[in-house]
Amino acid sequence: MLALVLAAALVPVAASPALALTLRDMLGREVTMPSPPRRIVSLVPSVTEIVFSLGAQDRLVGRTDFCDYPAAVKDKPSVGGMVNPSLETLVTLKPDLVVATDEGNRQETVRQLERLRIPTYLVHANRIAETVDLIARVGELTGRQAEVPRLTGEMLRRIEAVRRAVAPFSRPRVLYVLWPDPLIVPGRASMLTELIDVAGGASITAGDGDAYPRFSLEAAVARAPEVIILADHSTGSSTAGRSSPEKWARLASVPAIRAGRLHSADLSLLHRYGPRVPEGLEMLARIIHPEAFR
Amino acid sequence: MSAGRRLALALGVLGLALLAVAALSLFLGSAGLAPGAVARALTGRAGPESIEAVVTLELRLPRVIAAALAGGALAVAGVAFQGLTRNPLAEPAVLGVSSGAAFGVVLAQIFGLGLSVVQALGVTVFAFAGALLAAGAVYLIAMVPGGLSIQTLLLAGVIVGIFFTSAITVLISVIDFNRLGGVVHWLLGNLAPIPPASLALFALLALAGFWLILRSARELNLLALGEEAAIQLGVDAARLKRRVFVAAALLTGTVVAFTGPIGFVGLVVPHLLRGVLGQDNRLLVPTALVAGGIFLLAADTLARNIVAPAELSVGVITSFCGAPFFVYLLRSRYRASL
Repeated sequence: MLALVLAAALVPVAASPALALTLRDMLGREVTMPSPPRRIVSLVPSVTEIVFSLGAQDRLVGRTDFCDYPAAVKDKPSVGGMVNPSLETLVTLKPDLVVATDEGNRQETVRQLERLRIPTYLVHANRIAETVDLIARVGELTGRQAEVPRLTGEMLRRIEAVRRAVAPFSRPRVLYVLWPDPLIVPGRASMLTELIDVAGGASITAGDGDAYPRFSLEAAVARAPEVIILADHSTGSSTAGRSSPEKWARLASVPAIRAGRLHSADLSLLHRYGPRVPEGLEMLARIIHPEAFR
Repeated sequence: MSAGRRLALALGVLGLALLAVAALSLFLGSAGLAPGAVARALTGRAGPESIEAVVTLELRLPRVIAAALAGGALAVAGVAFQGLTRNPLAEPAVLGVSSGAAFGVVLAQIFGLGLSVVQALGVTVFAFAGALLAAGAVYLIAMVPGGLSIQTLLLAGVIVGIFFTSAITVLISVIDFNRLGGVVHWLLGNLAPIPPASLALFALLALAGFWLILRSARELNLLALGEEAAIQLGVDAARLKRRVFVAAALLTGTVVAFTGPIGFVGLVVPHLLRGVLGQDNRLLVPTALVAGGIFLLAADTLARNIVAPAELSVGVITSFCGAPFFVYLLRSRYRASL
C-alpha cells in the first residue's frame, strides 16, 4: 500500500493552464493560479465578506461555517470550521484557488492544500491599511479591480470622518475585552488596538503581547480603564458567548464602572478585516466619545 | 496446535480483517464518491487530477495507512509496557508517557516545527525525548527494592501524566489566541493524510520499535515469571527492560508526533487478544500490530463519517471506548492482583 502512495506522489503535476497568473500573497509566497480563478474557496470570513461586497460571489464556490455575512453566503456550501475544514469536501468543490489566513486556519491545512496542488493564497491583516490592501488583492483575484476604489474610497472617507469627529476630545483609557475568562485583550499586533486609537481612545493594552494576549485582571484594574467594552460573541439566536456585564459591575473601584461606562459591542463588526470596518469603528467611536456624535 | 501455526492463523484472520476495514474506509467519506469511482481510482483508471483520484489516493489512502500504523504501534507499545511492568493496566496514556510525548510536540510546535520530513523528524525527536522523560520518571518513582509495585506504578503514571499535562497548559496559556485553536485541536488526537515521505519515516520508526519488542518477546515471557526467575533462566533483565522501555517510548513518541495523543488503544487491543490467544508475548506482539491497526482504523473511519462534513477527533472516540474498558478491567478481572 505504501508503494501505491509513493506512486501517486510521483504522478507528474498536470500541465499548467493556458493562462496562468503568478501573484505574491500577503505572506510573500508566490502563488500560481489559473487566470482568472473562477472557483474560489474562502477559509476566511473577512475574505468571504469582501468577495460579496465586490460583487464577485459567482466566483465563490465554498466557505467555512464561520462565514456568516452577508446572509446570501448561506447559499454557498461550507467545508466545515476554520481549524478543521474537511479536505474531502473542499476537493469535491474543485477549487482553482483557496484563500486562507495564518490567523485562525492551521498551517497543517495549508500544507495539505499545497500537497494536493491546490493554489493557496494566504492573507494576513491586522492594520486598517492592510485591510485596504486585502480588499485590493481580493479585487485582483476576482477580476473586480474596478470595484475596489469605490469600496475602499468610501471606507477611508468614513474612517477619516471618525478621526476628525473625535479629534477635539481628550482620549479616555479603554479596556477592550475579547474574552472575559480567561481575560483576552487586543495587543500590539491587533487591528482592534488601531481602531480604538482612531476612535479616540487609548487602549490600556496597546503595548502588550502579540495580537490577542492573555491579560491579568489585576493589571487591567490597576491601569484604571475609563471605558470598558465587552465583545459579544453571540450570533443570531445563539446566546453562547453573550457578554455578561454583571460580572464586571462589582469592580466598583474602576473608573469605567463608577462612571457607568461598561458597554457591549457586536464582535463580528470588529474582528473582520473587511468592508464593515468603518461600521465597527463608528460604533466604537460612539461608545468612547458619545459627546462627539450628538 | 503449535504456537507457530496459531500465530500464522491469527495473523491471517487479522490481516484479512484489516484489509476489509481498510477497504470500507477507502469507500466511505464526506466527498460521497460512488463506489465505482473509488474503484476506478484504486485501479489507476481515473485521471490523476480527477476528484476520485485525489480524494481516494491522496486523502483517504495515506490516512488509512497512518491509522493502521499508529494503531499498531500503540497496541504493541501497550503489550510492551504491560510485559515490562508486569501490570495488565499499563499503557502509554495511563502511564503518562503520551503526555510526556505531547509536551515535547507542543514545545516543538511553538518552535515552529511542522510537517515536512525534516521537521517531522525534529518533532519526533522532541516527542521521543518527552516520552523517555515521562517513562523514566514513572519508573523511578515506582521503583522500590525488589521490583515495581503495581499500585505505585499506576499512581506514578497518573502523577507524571498530570505533571506533563500541566506543563502543556503552561505552554498553551502563553501562546497567542490565534494559535490556540490549532494546538487544542492537535491535543485531541487526530489522524491526517500524511505526505508520502513523512509516512515512510513514520513507518520506519514504528517498525524499528516493533522489531525491538518482537525480538524481546520470548524474554518478556520469562520476565512474567518474576525478575528473579527470569535472571535464573539466563535473561539479562536489566538490559531487556532498558531495550523494551526505549522501544515502547519510541513507539509512543512516534505516534504522538504524527497524530497527537490517542489514548487507550494499547489497553483495549492487547486485552482482547489475550482473551483469545493467551499470555504468550510471541503471539501478542505481532498480532497487536495488526489488531491495533484494525481498531484505530475503524475508530477513525467512524470519526471521519459520523458528523460529516465536519470531523470528530479520533482520540475522543478511543477514549470513549477505553475509559469504560479500563474501569471494567479494574473492577472485574484484575481486582485480586491489585
